[in-house]
Amino acid sequence: MITLKGVSKVYPDGTVGLKNIHLRIEPGEFASMVGKSGSGKTTLAKLLIAEEHPSHGVIEVGGWDITRIRQRDVPLLRRQIGVIFQDFKLLSSRTVFENIAFALQVAGAPPAHIRTVVPQLLEIVNLKEKAHKYPVQLSGGEAQRVVIARALVHRPKVIVADEPTGNLDAINTEEIMDILRRINKFGTTILLITHNREIVNRLGKRVIVLEDGEVVSDVKHGKYRL
Amino acid sequence: MIFYSTVRIIKFAVQNIWRNLGLSFMTVTILIVTLLSFNVFIAMSAMTRHAVETVKDKIDASVYFAPAAADAQVQEVQEFLRTFPEVKELTLKTRDEALAQFREKHKNNPDVMASLDELEGNPFGPTLVITTHEPGQYETVLKALTTPDLQKIIEGKTFDNNEGFIQRLQLITRRVEQFVLGITALFLLIAFLIIFNTIRVAIYTQREEISIKKLVGATNWFIRAPFLLDGVAYTLVSVGVAVALVFGILGFVDEYIQAVFTASFSLIAYFRANSLIFVYEIAAVLFLTWLSSALAMRKYLRA
Repeated sequence: MITLKGVSKVYPDGTVGLKNIHLRIEPGEFASMVGKSGSGKTTLAKLLIAEEHPSHGVIEVGGWDITRIRQRDVPLLRRQIGVIFQDFKLLSSRTVFENIAFALQVAGAPPAHIRTVVPQLLEIVNLKEKAHKYPVQLSGGEAQRVVIARALVHRPKVIVADEPTGNLDAINTEEIMDILRRINKFGTTILLITHNREIVNRLGKRVIVLEDGEVVSDVKHGKYRL
Repeated sequence: MIFYSTVRIIKFAVQNIWRNLGLSFMTVTILIVTLLSFNVFIAMSAMTRHAVETVKDKIDASVYFAPAAADAQVQEVQEFLRTFPEVKELTLKTRDEALAQFREKHKNNPDVMASLDELEGNPFGPTLVITTHEPGQYETVLKALTTPDLQKIIEGKTFDNNEGFIQRLQLITRRVEQFVLGITALFLLIAFLIIFNTIRVAIYTQREEISIKKLVGATNWFIRAPFLLDGVAYTLVSVGVAVALVFGILGFVDEYIQAVFTASFSLIAYFRANSLIFVYEIAAVLFLTWLSSALAMRKYLRA
């Protein structure tokens, strides 16, 4: 599903983000990527959604070579990859329903489709009763569930979750991980980027360790080791 | 899909204007002022042209033939003058017409009438009225009538030279036009900067929304179109208001302008007959708003 062949990223000021990464994440896989701050985790997430472009190497998502993706194709890529960020990125002036609907609106979805899909997603993330609340009225866990629902609107094949539990307490973290596990069970590939030792260990799934922009460990059923 | 996207783009465009109402108002105001000053320039040009034409139409030269001049000789002079490309029109006043005109003019002056009656026959010769295309051409034409042969049958020539007046009129109006054009250019520059700033502020206040739009897969066109649509709205409102103000103001001043010139000249009629001016103004303002929007977006909306 995700393939990186010899990918490096060097920023204009000379900072090295990633060094010669070779990686393959299979369809339906749940992989965790761990590493210290500045190890290149977020750079990799940005490369996958074409927010940054690699200096060297090839990146493929779902068989699509996005290494030199044309600017006009970036929106299509972003509709195929659901992205979850630590800081939620929700619109404070819109309700939960409107925030999720927004992702469909920008893609030109008809209102009838929006009225059908959004309640289904709210059901999945268990937020039906909060549909008309504003982000400020939600807990951190609820806000992150809204983000997950929004990431699912286009039925993506891949979800990239960059520190999705970074701002959450243990209970909310477990809720979010439970939702991600359920989504993975339906066949969606998940790449979890995290610092959280406990959730990685509890998952018992593939663990990729990044250090100074390089993959230093890649274990099929691994534990958090730095 | 296109329909729904279009509706949403319009909705976002309206939101942009509403959220930055103060700046939107300022943008439209400066555009209106710019358009008004440009229309003043157009009106001044029209008035100047009409004034110059009116003065030009009043200029002519008269050639007075001696009473002894034979009709054939007068005819010959007429034919000679017709060969000049400068000559626009020739009107011959016969001896009888000259006499009748003189009598009519002096009918209230018994002394003049008595003197005329004492004379035997008609003391007047025919008069040839010459009109040229341009005031400067009279000199050439009249000079051609100074040959010794013609001097024998021509008693006199009169020419009211208004060329100096025309030149002064043109000079003054050219200066005023240059001033109005300069003011218009200044307003254009201010309008450009204000529109650029309005769009920049709109983009800045919506940077979070724009980044989320990009994140969830909005196309560049979907993000940019509302700002371009704002440009269309600013254009249509400003040209609409400017046209209404132009006709409103002319409604008051047109009768005074007609009094100064002739009743046949009306600025309202001029603008109505040349309404294409407003189409050009829409095109020009649209170009200005889109250019400044495009530059602001290029600077602040890099993907």
